[in-house]
Amino acid sequence: MVKINEYLESGALESYVLGSASKAEIEELLSLKSKHPQVEEALAILEADLECIAEHMAITPPPNTWLKIEASMNELVERPRMEYLIGDEPVESSRPKSRSGKSEQFIEVEGESGHMRIHKIWRWIFAAVFVLGKIFLAFAIYYYLENKHTQEEIQQLKIELRSMRQ
Amino acid sequence: MLESTSQVTIDHQTHSIHYLYDRHAGKLLGFIFEVVKDRKLAEDYLVKIFSALSLQHNQQGEEGIHTWCQLLKFAKTKLQQLPVEHRGMEAYDRSAMTVMHPSNTYLDRLTEMQRMVFCEVYHHGKTISALSIALNTTEDLTRKTLKEAFLIMRSNG
Repeated sequence: MVKINEYLESGALESYVLGSASKAEIEELLSLKSKHPQVEEALAILEADLECIAEHMAITPPPNTWLKIEASMNELVERPRMEYLIGDEPVESSRPKSRSGKSEQFIEVEGESGHMRIHKIWRWIFAAVFVLGKIFLAFAIYYYLENKHTQEEIQQLKIELRSMRQ
Repeated sequence: MLESTSQVTIDHQTHSIHYLYDRHAGKLLGFIFEVVKDRKLAEDYLVKIFSALSLQHNQQGEEGIHTWCQLLKFAKTKLQQLPVEHRGMEAYDRSAMTVMHPSNTYLDRLTEMQRMVFCEVYHHGKTISALSIALNTTEDLTRKTLKEAFLIMRSNG
């Protein structure tokens, strides 16, 4: 009991609460804390005291500070996402797996828009196909009419030949 | 439209950081100001430290930050990574302290040695062993001085 009181009076707890204790001191404190409830109790009081001291030294932040923090947080959260999209898997990632179960290493390319973008050269190719289509159609109509006319002439000649024989 | 799980996680995280901000932002700004001695810089660092909490919350397996002591420990770690012009210990004379802490009755009631030990440990994160070497004293005596400083400030609270 005397030993633990000496320990409590040594200033080791204050050193621990202020974060200046060495690794060995921290280990010793944690070991004593588990064995002696007085240590835990003294630590709780010290932490409350430290908060009280900090409260006394507090400065009210400007009103727009939280907005700055929020903007900065969004930027920090978005940055790893962007890195993620270009293939560098971020260390800090809170995003769950996609519902489809596919790896998020791949980018989903299916867009919501019904439009698609193609190379400009296709404009001339489509125009050439259209013009050629019109030319072929014109030729087809011409030859169809020509053929029809020829057939009619042949029929006419046949009728004339028959009438001449009679 | 339903919110995605990640959005819900981010919102929850923002709320928990906002809660910490509401409770401890003033104390943390006061602490940072004592370290950097520049109001504008202290405000910038406050934003950086709270923003860094969002990444801390993302890291799996990391212990959460809920109390002032945990937040202070986190802030000290972050401040070590940020450029801070550290004043030498020779600057802790009484007249300088009066100018720098005009309304700080806690620190005013400490002796020069107690104030130096407390400020070096609390604000600048010096270890007891490093401080003992710098002050040319034993570690036990440095711890005792720190404890005395705490007792005086506690009695003033």
